[in-house]
Amino acid sequence: MLILAIDTSAGTSVAVLRGQDVLAEVTHTEGQKHAEQIGSTIADAIAQARVAPADIKAVALGRGPALFTGLRVGMAAAIMFAEGVGAKTFGVVSLDALALTAFSSGANATAQSPILITTDARRGEVYYAAYSGLDAFGAPIAIEGPGVMKPAELDDHLANRNLAPIRFVGGQDVAVSAAALGQVFAAHQAGGNANQDITALYLREADAVAPVSNRLAGKKVSS
Amino acid sequence: MTWAILPATEADLQEIMALEHECFGRDAWSQQNMQLELVSHHTSYFVARAEGQLIAFAGLSKVAASDQSDVQTIAVDPEFRGQKLGLALMQRLLDTAANLGAKENFLEVRADNPSAIGLYKKLGYRQIDVRRAYYQPDGVDALIMRLDLEEYRLKDSNREPLVLGIETSCDETGIGIVRGNTLLANVISSSMDVHARFGGVVPEIAARAHLEALKPTLNKALAEAKVSIADIDAIAVTNGPGLAGALMVGIGAAKALSVATGKPIYAVNHLVGHVGVDVLEGQLELPTVALLVSGGHTSLLLVRDLLTDVEMLGETIDDAAGEAFDKVARVLDLPYPGGPEIDRAAAGGDPKAIRFPRGLTLPKDLEKHRYNFSFSGLKTAVARWVEVAETSGQPWNKADVAASFREAVVDVLLTKAIDACLTNGVPRLLLGGGVIANSRLREVAKERCAKHGIELRIPALSLCTDNGAMIAALGAQLIMAGYQPSSLGFSAHSTLPVTTVQSA
Repeated sequence: MLILAIDTSAGTSVAVLRGQDVLAEVTHTEGQKHAEQIGSTIADAIAQARVAPADIKAVALGRGPALFTGLRVGMAAAIMFAEGVGAKTFGVVSLDALALTAFSSGANATAQSPILITTDARRGEVYYAAYSGLDAFGAPIAIEGPGVMKPAELDDHLANRNLAPIRFVGGQDVAVSAAALGQVFAAHQAGGNANQDITALYLREADAVAPVSNRLAGKKVSS
Repeated sequence: MTWAILPATEADLQEIMALEHECFGRDAWSQQNMQLELVSHHTSYFVARAEGQLIAFAGLSKVAASDQSDVQTIAVDPEFRGQKLGLALMQRLLDTAANLGAKENFLEVRADNPSAIGLYKKLGYRQIDVRRAYYQPDGVDALIMRLDLEEYRLKDSNREPLVLGIETSCDETGIGIVRGNTLLANVISSSMDVHARFGGVVPEIAARAHLEALKPTLNKALAEAKVSIADIDAIAVTNGPGLAGALMVGIGAAKALSVATGKPIYAVNHLVGHVGVDVLEGQLELPTVALLVSGGHTSLLLVRDLLTDVEMLGETIDDAAGEAFDKVARVLDLPYPGGPEIDRAAAGGDPKAIRFPRGLTLPKDLEKHRYNFSFSGLKTAVARWVEVAETSGQPWNKADVAASFREAVVDVLLTKAIDACLTNGVPRLLLGGGVIANSRLREVAKERCAKHGIELRIPALSLCTDNGAMIAALGAQLIMAGYQPSSLGFSAHSTLPVTTVQSA
């Protein structure tokens, strides 16, 4: 089955796969250019894979966690591409793709010593998830997260659980790859647990504060 | 010449009869017959209007149980012939017949009308019979012609473009579908309720809501237009001005849809869309001054040509008028959105009770800001007034405050809009944007335009608020005028100037 995989949690990455086999992958690493690059990145990946859009039957989208604005561009594109060709959409945690890349590069992990993937969540926090290994179908097994925390709190949290993680930092040690994301989806599907949840993993409330008072500049009028 | 094709109603009867007599003379139907045709359950009649004037009509008959349909009549004002209006009307009838489940269409035509016969042949009709001397007293034969609708649907030459428009510049996810100047669907999903507890639009909340609304809004629009995604000829999307994060959701969606379907994409200007939407009601007459008032914009435009000559005369230098309504609503302990709440609260109030300031109307301000607006001072003035009134312990009348505030907003908006019309010698004013829902604004606009001999246009409210249909309509205008599509690389531009109607 032909799969289109899209992830914009860091750069803009699009891949076309046939099952686990990657036919093409196009990745632009600049952040902040998602809206500009998403269209041509999808078009280029499809052209390089030498497939017709209408032959794509599944669209795997990266749900984050990631910085919101860029993440949404890829998710919106994935949802509408699927509508355009009559394909189904499936969600993949973007950190799972980073984990698969780390495992593919030879990282070993156990339940006590998992690999820990972190990415920059700004405001002094990181997005994280920890993985004990790959399941029988090749999908990373998450034992912690995805979540968002300050690094020191995360260290305490892992120590309290007696975990000695092997650390990978997204964007430095490993880049988000739509090909890896597509492979995670293919593994989920092979294992019979493809995820139909395509909501974004924001993990934080929108920045908005309800007004404390209905009056000018928050000053309560004496009455 | 632009026209719009709209479903006919009984209100069109007199104008239809005038054209019927002009076109058919002795063969004309009686008014009574025509009225029965218009109200019948097994007919679909359409009228075409240009600048408000009825210039053509046509009718289809399709009985529910049958898979056959008939063209009952078609009439085009002689002055508007030779412009493919007859073709557009026929296409509308045939689309309607096909959507109602018809497989064939029949019509009869005078044998001495070669241009009509030519049009029908071009559409794919074939002559199947002749009725000798059918038209009396002239003794002219009638040709009976038949069209296979399934064949017709596969042959797409000469059709007006079917355009899907996506709008996500603020808190409404709008998806609209038009064919040429004809509105087929206008679906809006608003996140207004979620913003209510914050007293205004929160950009991140709006962007999140767009992502969730995309798929259901698209499917609703396709169902409403009775078309499938494969039928769409082009995609239009707002790329500014607006909230950047919100715009990017629509842009990502539109670009992917374009790649998926192989259809061209047009990146268009949101504010120009608010003006262009009037083509869907067959009314856009140029040049016009346009006053666009919403929660995000307060702009005064001079539009000489929709696609090539749009000038920003002025805009707000601080809050948008809609924002002022929201903020003053909070001061008056009224819920969000403020516009309708203040409208209600102002009922029975005296608009002259308190003279609130009119921003940028003093002679010294007019030098630099003749057509600009400012509402933050007004909002502060209302808050101060309420504060002082409450501190004094005297009872005060909320209706008077609401009415006086609303009057100040409406007064300054229309004073400047009328000034723009008179100074530029443009006898037309078009209103757009969500604040146009305000009853007092519409009332005062009517009074003042009438007083100065200015023609006032207010599109249907569903086309005034942010919507995808206006984006689709502007895209269709670009296509019909021969403009090339945008590239896939355009960006979101939160302050896109009105001079950029389409982004490359």
